[in-house]
Amino acid sequence: MASLKRSVESDPLAANISNKIYVRSTKSGKVQKIVREVYLRRDIPCSSKLCRECQHQMLIPKDALGKPIPFVLSDSPAGTKVFPQGHYLVPDTNAFLTAMDLFEQESAFYDVIVLQIVLEELRNRSLPLYNRLISLTKSEDKRFYVFFNEFRLETHVARLEGETVNDRNDRAVRRAVAWYGEHLARIKGKDAPSIVMLSNDRDNLRKAKQEGIHACSLADYVRQLKDGEKLLDMIPETQDRDQIKEKRPGDNLYSEYFSMSKMMTGVKSNLLHQGIFNVSPYNYLEGSIRVPAFPKALLILGRENINRAVDGDLVVVEVLPKDQWKEPSTQVIEEDAITKNENPDAEESDDFVSERERKALQEEVKRTHRKTTEGHAQPTAKVVGVIKRNWRQYVGHIDQSSVSQSAQQGRKQDSVFVIPMDKKIPKIRLRTRQVSELLGKRILVTIDAWDRSSRHPSGHFVRSLGELETKAAETEALLLEYDVQYRPFPKTVLDCLPKEGHDWRVPQSLEDPGWKDRQDLRDLLICSIDPIGCQDIDDALHSRPLPNGNFEVGVHIADVSHFVKPGNAMDAEASIRGTTVYLVDKRIDMLPMLLGTDLCSLKPYVERYAFSVIWEMTSDADIVGSRFTKSVIKSREAFSYEQAQLRVDDSSQQDQLTTSIRTLLALSKKLKQKRLDAGALSLSSPEVKVQMESETSDPIDVKTKVHLDTMSLVEEFMLLANTSVARRIYEAFPQTAILRRHGAPPKTNFDELANQLKVKRGLDLSVESSRALADSLDRCVDEKEPFFNTLVRIMATRCMMSAEYFCSGTQAYPEFRHYGLASEIYTHFTSPIRRYADLMAHRQLAAAIEYEAIHPSTRSRGKLEAVCKNINVRHRNAQLAGRASIAYYVGQALRGKATEEDGFVMKIFSNGFVVLVPRFGIESLIRLRDLAETEPQAEFDAENYVLRVSGSREVRVELFQKVRVRVTDQKDETTGKRGVRMELVKTY
Amino acid sequence: MASSTNVHLSPAELSYLHTSLSLNPPIRPDGRSPTQYRPLSAETGILPGTNGSARICFADGTEAIVGVKAEVEKTRRRWDDDTIFGENQNQEEGEEQDEGEGQGSSDWVELTVEIPGYRDDDSGTVFLGQMLCEALLADGGFVRRLRINRRFHWKVYLDILLISPPLSYPLPLLSLTTHLALLATRLPKLKSEGDEDPFFDDDWAAAPYLYVRNPTTKRVTERPPVTLLVMAVGGNVIFDPSKEELAVADVVLAVSVGDDASSREGRMDVDGRSNNSGRNLKLLSIRTVDPPSRLTPPGVANAANSAYGHAQVVSTGANQKMPEARQTESEAVEGVWKPPRGGAKAVVMGALVQKVLVRGGVADEVLDALEGVDTS
Repeated sequence: MASLKRSVESDPLAANISNKIYVRSTKSGKVQKIVREVYLRRDIPCSSKLCRECQHQMLIPKDALGKPIPFVLSDSPAGTKVFPQGHYLVPDTNAFLTAMDLFEQESAFYDVIVLQIVLEELRNRSLPLYNRLISLTKSEDKRFYVFFNEFRLETHVARLEGETVNDRNDRAVRRAVAWYGEHLARIKGKDAPSIVMLSNDRDNLRKAKQEGIHACSLADYVRQLKDGEKLLDMIPETQDRDQIKEKRPGDNLYSEYFSMSKMMTGVKSNLLHQGIFNVSPYNYLEGSIRVPAFPKALLILGRENINRAVDGDLVVVEVLPKDQWKEPSTQVIEEDAITKNENPDAEESDDFVSERERKALQEEVKRTHRKTTEGHAQPTAKVVGVIKRNWRQYVGHIDQSSVSQSAQQGRKQDSVFVIPMDKKIPKIRLRTRQVSELLGKRILVTIDAWDRSSRHPSGHFVRSLGELETKAAETEALLLEYDVQYRPFPKTVLDCLPKEGHDWRVPQSLEDPGWKDRQDLRDLLICSIDPIGCQDIDDALHSRPLPNGNFEVGVHIADVSHFVKPGNAMDAEASIRGTTVYLVDKRIDMLPMLLGTDLCSLKPYVERYAFSVIWEMTSDADIVGSRFTKSVIKSREAFSYEQAQLRVDDSSQQDQLTTSIRTLLALSKKLKQKRLDAGALSLSSPEVKVQMESETSDPIDVKTKVHLDTMSLVEEFMLLANTSVARRIYEAFPQTAILRRHGAPPKTNFDELANQLKVKRGLDLSVESSRALADSLDRCVDEKEPFFNTLVRIMATRCMMSAEYFCSGTQAYPEFRHYGLASEIYTHFTSPIRRYADLMAHRQLAAAIEYEAIHPSTRSRGKLEAVCKNINVRHRNAQLAGRASIAYYVGQALRGKATEEDGFVMKIFSNGFVVLVPRFGIESLIRLRDLAETEPQAEFDAENYVLRVSGSREVRVELFQKVRVRVTDQKDETTGKRGVRMELVKTY
Repeated sequence: MASSTNVHLSPAELSYLHTSLSLNPPIRPDGRSPTQYRPLSAETGILPGTNGSARICFADGTEAIVGVKAEVEKTRRRWDDDTIFGENQNQEEGEEQDEGEGQGSSDWVELTVEIPGYRDDDSGTVFLGQMLCEALLADGGFVRRLRINRRFHWKVYLDILLISPPLSYPLPLLSLTTHLALLATRLPKLKSEGDEDPFFDDDWAAAPYLYVRNPTTKRVTERPPVTLLVMAVGGNVIFDPSKEELAVADVVLAVSVGDDASSREGRMDVDGRSNNSGRNLKLLSIRTVDPPSRLTPPGVANAANSAYGHAQVVSTGANQKMPEARQTESEAVEGVWKPPRGGAKAVVMGALVQKVLVRGGVADEVLDALEGVDTS
């Protein structure tokens, strides 16, 4: 018998074919062997502008239009001390994984060759980093070139027998470096740049040296650069395998995570539970996790049980035995207060749970035990593994107390703690050489790792945003924290704008294609009503009597979809931004200024394209008919709410425009009444306005917003337009209409509030329907205290779900309901300049009235769902950023002043209580220890929501109580924010 | 498919064949010795998409391909067993269960045979498949290898394809090819532990072989079974018969032998060396295959045939008139082949099996030869 293997050599093309074999495990549990053939080629260019060879051989790749893609790598790359003739960098995967921030620097790291194998490996390891690298390769000035080394014949490396995948990939990197070296050495007449491999892997570096190619560790390389010292901080602590100290088993502070397969098995069989880990904003040692298996969230208490999870991580938890169940803490625990004076250098603290933490825990236990009712204990759980880290970059500042004296002068590397602005994020241990420079600055850091043996996560410095409390630094910090895209619009986006720029006009000739299917409404008396100083005017209104005694009412919305065509760069950017973000002194636009404040904005006295919704209404505001049309309008006037109100109230004004506003006002009141009758909620949130010095834009005063009739006039018609449009697009696209829903809140959300009202005021809160809730909220009045009703409404609002955008195919019709507005169906249509959802609704409505053909992206359910998901997040972030901005400016406005104000107790803990001051729309925690010099004794009656303080100060605080507080500003040591500090003056 | 297809030989030719095969030593039409196999060429790993594959080409032009695919499947469990991690079982119970669960189930293997020109539900094809399957399942050793943990196992699909026309009874060819394919089969490396949902290494190079190899010598320590086709003509035992030879066989047996590793290891320790003759063969199954002769109805003399006026002959006492007729029925006529009648003799059967299993016998030889094939 003879063995006959087909010989590879016999095939003349065999050299050009290779293959890749791997095992793929699918979600459904299938395991497949995958074989991919790889066709090797010689026509992949090196992309160096120096290289004549690649350019001569017509290797220049072409884009879809047949235009050659220019070569990327510079012909005169920068040099360093060691490579004076210039160099190209070839980082390995680990270099990107550990120090992506370095590569994003503007001072160095140009002309980088990103190998395909590195890019692929990075994608498998970390998607966010991969995306960052991709955007680097797209930026023109950084000159990052993706070289497809796996497909080029000379650089393809076949795996040797017994070689691990990692070793093979390292070898592929070295092979590519070597090839680049040989390839560029052929350039005549000039010193070829060196090709430098960047790696932190010792073995790889050693082999590179053996093979005679240039290789540096990241730290070595950075030291060669001019401002290397500073950059050194951005290299995370070396994770070299051989450098890890032999750790005794007792050194591990946290228990080990389960293996992935064990977690998956457990989750599938419902023994373990998976969910997003959330930290309580009042207690950093208490987290909760909502899992599908239980209706209520599980509690996770204490460091050991939290087990290195960070707010937002996707984790797997195990329910603890019943004897470890607890009730959620009624105490405020702030990390700063408890772990103060920790030494970041001390690797192993003697005991993992510090003495103070332990004390806090004992208090807790005592309280639980004192309880007569045992039934209150809630199931607790322990984190046994992390499926996906959700670490991002965090804004924070260095904890002054963690800095040793010596560190403030020298430039030696030192460990300090960074306290993130977000209280839910633990302190981050940072090693830096520039302690003295960074002290008192807002800095951006990332978490690199959290070892079992270290109490706090370790991270590295990314960049400094500037001095604490400077407007620029704080605003940027805010935008970063809420993930708002604030970079200027890239050129590709600006290229999508009309060429005429500000000179763009509605075409004169009615023959122009822009006029096609557009109705000429220029003769209507249209006006807009907006807040003072509004530049992006989305909407305008008109009304006129009809011969039959009815009224014609029109809402005209800026026709943004005329300018933003689906699928272009501007559309893509807008869909990512999702919404315009309004900060007190700054607006981050969704669309470029030219459109938002000029071409789309329905400015007065000029002709503008609009999308109009026109109803015929009876004088009782019953709708007889409605129609939708693209139009051209000319707004007669842009009023502010106040101006419009004055005009309406001034009976001497009898011109047509004013009468039409009066008609609108009358109709809007009837519309509102109808809505309230249907059970719409009138909810409340404390809203204030910061008044600015006009020149310096320094905040000088804070005012509560006054509500004007004209505001609800605009609001009512916008609601009506949104509802009408929602019906129309749902009718046209039952599967793909973009709608907005507000889920009915689960009854349990109101349990706490209902109980509080019952105990404190004997009031009943019925929550069966929005109507019942609205009625019972109306009954929550205190004759002596008019604000009480608003307070209850504010608290009720916090029990609600948040409204969300969705795609109509994903929900059943009854689920479309908007709970707060008591509307069966609803969408956003009226603010396309500042919300992407409205723009989508515009496109869908245009298609529904057969104005234009529908674009595939507006029709594909998958795409729409992704868009909805994104804009929901963006919308929420924008709100939070806006609020945070107001809070910051309120703090600034109060700076150096002390005022006494009335406030109300909203929440009560065993060692403190939260007071809301309606005048400033702020709430703040007053701790027991703030009440007097020595912390007074307190007895907390959780059932009656009463805190009896005795000892150094005698006072009795209860829920809903009106109190007098002194409001001063204070720099919060924990977050570095200037915030408000309240002191209790007296109780009423 | 019957073992005889399209043998168009005259009785005289058949008789010639029969006679020459009955000689001592027998003379085979292609000049082979009685125990000699047809020359073949073999290779493995020809189908990159499979877990294991092999191809064998016999010199007479018959060729077969076998591909092995494996899939993870959930093991059916006892109704009262709802533990996941097997933590809360006490020791004895655990052991008992392990023994019980160590057994695989025969439905973990699915084997299909494809013969060109025949339906897959043709009785011959099904019989072939059954014989090959039976050998694999006979001692439970094969399915035991497919166990991942208490909750999961591999389900193996064996696709056996004859890609040439069936020029001879393809059993030996298919069996040898299957053997090689199984030797070359690799399963993804398990990373999870215990009774967790299985989780595998994505590196194919790390995938272990289904039949484990000695890490130093790279030699397979245990081998899948082979099924040999043996026939007897007169007193002679002939291996790997060709189509023509089968046509005159008295008895045809398909004998499956396995390699009894457990006993071998014990002996090897004593010897301290492992040579090929150290193999301890184990009989797994025997099937008789009907040779064409069994399927040919023996001729009945006209005289004895009632339909042909036998009754009349008897009544007239005419048997004296036709003595030749009697003779044809009882005795073989020189030069004319006559299918054998009656069952195989126990002695012959014993000799056949003996010949297969004897140390250094044909089975050993075949396994040795297969070991020479590079299966990595």
